[in-house]
Amino acid sequence: MAIQFENFSYAYPNSGIVLDDITLTIPRGSFSVITGPSSAGKTSLALAIAGVVPHYFGGRQAGTVRVGNVVTAQSNMGELAEQVGTVLADYESQLVALTVAEEVAFGLETSGLNRSQIAELVSQALAMVGLTGLEEREVAALSGGQKQRLAIAAVLVTEPEILVLDEPASALDPEGAAGIYELLYNLNCQGKTIVVVEHQLERVLPYASQVMVLQAGCLKFAGSLKQTLAFMWQQPDLKLGVPPLWAVKLTLEEQTGLVFEGWKTAEQAASELNKLLPTCEEGVAKSA
Amino acid sequence: MPDILLDMKKVMFAYNSGGQALAGVDFAVEAGAFAAIVGRNGSGKTTLTRMAMSLIKPASGTISFGGQDTAKLTPADMARSIGYVFQNPDRQIFRDTVAKEVAYGPEQLAFTPEEINQSVAWALRVTGLTELAGSFPRLLSRGQKQKVAIASAIAMRPKMLILDEPTSGQDPWDAQNLMELLTELNQQGITILLVTHDMELIAKYVDRVTVLDSGNKVFDGKPSELFNGNHTINAWGLLPPTTVALGRQLAGITADNAEELIKQVTTVINRRKEDHA
Amino acid sequence: MPKLAPLTKLILTAAVSVWALFIPTLSGLVALACGQILLLLLYRPTGKQVKAVGVLLIFAGFLAVIQCVFGSSLEFSLMSGLKMFAMSEVFVFLLATTRLQDLTAALVSQCRIPYEYAFMFTSALRFVPDFLEESKAVREAQACRGYVFRGNPLKRLMDYVAIVEPLVLRAISRSETMAMSLELRGFGRRGQRQFTSDVAIRGCDYAAMALMLVLTIFLAVVRLGVY
Repeated sequence: MAIQFENFSYAYPNSGIVLDDITLTIPRGSFSVITGPSSAGKTSLALAIAGVVPHYFGGRQAGTVRVGNVVTAQSNMGELAEQVGTVLADYESQLVALTVAEEVAFGLETSGLNRSQIAELVSQALAMVGLTGLEEREVAALSGGQKQRLAIAAVLVTEPEILVLDEPASALDPEGAAGIYELLYNLNCQGKTIVVVEHQLERVLPYASQVMVLQAGCLKFAGSLKQTLAFMWQQPDLKLGVPPLWAVKLTLEEQTGLVFEGWKTAEQAASELNKLLPTCEEGVAKSA
Repeated sequence: MPDILLDMKKVMFAYNSGGQALAGVDFAVEAGAFAAIVGRNGSGKTTLTRMAMSLIKPASGTISFGGQDTAKLTPADMARSIGYVFQNPDRQIFRDTVAKEVAYGPEQLAFTPEEINQSVAWALRVTGLTELAGSFPRLLSRGQKQKVAIASAIAMRPKMLILDEPTSGQDPWDAQNLMELLTELNQQGITILLVTHDMELIAKYVDRVTVLDSGNKVFDGKPSELFNGNHTINAWGLLPPTTVALGRQLAGITADNAEELIKQVTTVINRRKEDHA
Repeated sequence: MPKLAPLTKLILTAAVSVWALFIPTLSGLVALACGQILLLLLYRPTGKQVKAVGVLLIFAGFLAVIQCVFGSSLEFSLMSGLKMFAMSEVFVFLLATTRLQDLTAALVSQCRIPYEYAFMFTSALRFVPDFLEESKAVREAQACRGYVFRGNPLKRLMDYVAIVEPLVLRAISRSETMAMSLELRGFGRRGQRQFTSDVAIRGCDYAAMALMLVLTIFLAVVRLGVY
């Protein structure tokens, strides 16, 4: 099921407008990235998918947000939670149980399943995130990366179609960040729609199918990775958000007039550029 | 030859839970340097800086700052010389205006009221927070809070700033802002020591980088040397900046930063176009 | 030692209190206290738990001494001390031999305590290590700004705001996030809850409960007989 924003605007209670007339579609099965400078409304947009905005905070709203056929304002957070699994930026505070297995089982406690059925689903969810065998470990004893994975497993266990994550890699080192995004990509390949808020775009370079840029509450651009980065490159105040690899690509395109493919990794870039560069012998002959 | 400001010799440390955090490391920072320590989590980099601040004491080895042995000093004593900026400013902000928050450090160090006012005004000006002086710090953005933490540190007039992962969790705009601030502070004479994972920033801003791996110092020198391909940085849990990694894979290109790379590649491509024309 | 269900231990807690009040003789109370200590030892207690029992014994001793000083007979004072010990030691036994999650699962599914109250305990406990770590981090950060814990008691208290306030604000922020996340995970849904903990009553539980019932009736009869 796709997610649709139609002229959606929102303001928190006692506060100014934080999202202004957003119209966009997040296709089913996409790996969508919400990016932009801080305080752009990225978190609010992500929370609108799960219905946190407006159900949890109240506030004023205009327009609609549709998840599948359901209009979020006419549903409630519990119902939407069946389709949308949300991992908040402060994922540590999202973990409420004492052990890993209990945390994952928490979402299934009122599902009507019996204990062994729940245990089976728990171990499947843990396997999906790479935490197999840690059922009895205490939550407080996990590392940051493990807690992040646990938070993901805990929302996966109810089998939502859509996963929304707010800055999933912000507290992790580069290895940890790469690991989490690989995991999310695997889930994407298994059919889940992934929506992440991320401002370090190099982390999502190999995976993103759609990127949306928010600035001061407005949707400035939405499109494929290639289109969006080209757009950001042209805006002086969004230029910094373009990852270094693409900064090189776009500058080279400007200066040579060539057009390159959408580079997902440095290796891909190198193999394309090497076809245009002379071999060693040629180079030596010319400089001689 | 610039003076050595922070001098750590043969420091060793082991945690109670076992495993050696630091195995006899020599580490020195010169006055006026813009230096960084890198390494994977658990390599000992944060242990080293915490030791410099006397938050933990070495099991053996000596540490001196400005020529003075710090063995008997506490972190509050060290606050006069080193401003330590932690990763999470929410763990220290508690007053209701930015100006009062920044004044906390100078007050604890018993500055006179005029000194406090001057230091706070200067710190707010340098960090660009003067307009926010009356704001409630808890409602500021992450980048702004980080600046409040830095202002709080420099208001104590330290000779050196140590920052633990200052750009972690920040967007590229705030991170750039922060690094420019640190460069400005460095130019004003404050020695900067960063603990970070961000290789791009190191390549761009830092003069000197030290790499720790499993409690040992494995590299100490310029960023360009670190990334020149002669070192097995992957084994240390590090990745070179993307443009450096790209440059290394391109035939006939030697570049250690983006500008160089673009210049060389453009020249070659344009030259080939002319030749083929 | 057979694994008793949390409900059985909860009933034991109530039963022991009743027995402590029923037993009319000093030797009987000594037997009760020794029986409890023996029971605890069968479950291999940790050093901390043994220490707790020791502290309770000391307090019981104090109580006895105070009663004596204020004019009661030696026998009566000792009995008071032992009663106090018996009634409090059983809680140490309960907490030492039962995981908190199992206890709350039993309270909710078998004792009809509303789920929200039981949940408060387990979720608060989950955050205790995080809170301790946070407290250390705050103290370090403020120490690096010159904070020193010294001076007269009033000054110390006022200075401590620099430690307490960030912690309180963080706790509030955490609980807001947790509340939002709980809603997102369907916490408010009504219906039968299936807990991970297995708190079912088994054969040995029924045996233990039967034993307790018999003992209670016996002691009630003895008590009434004495009068």
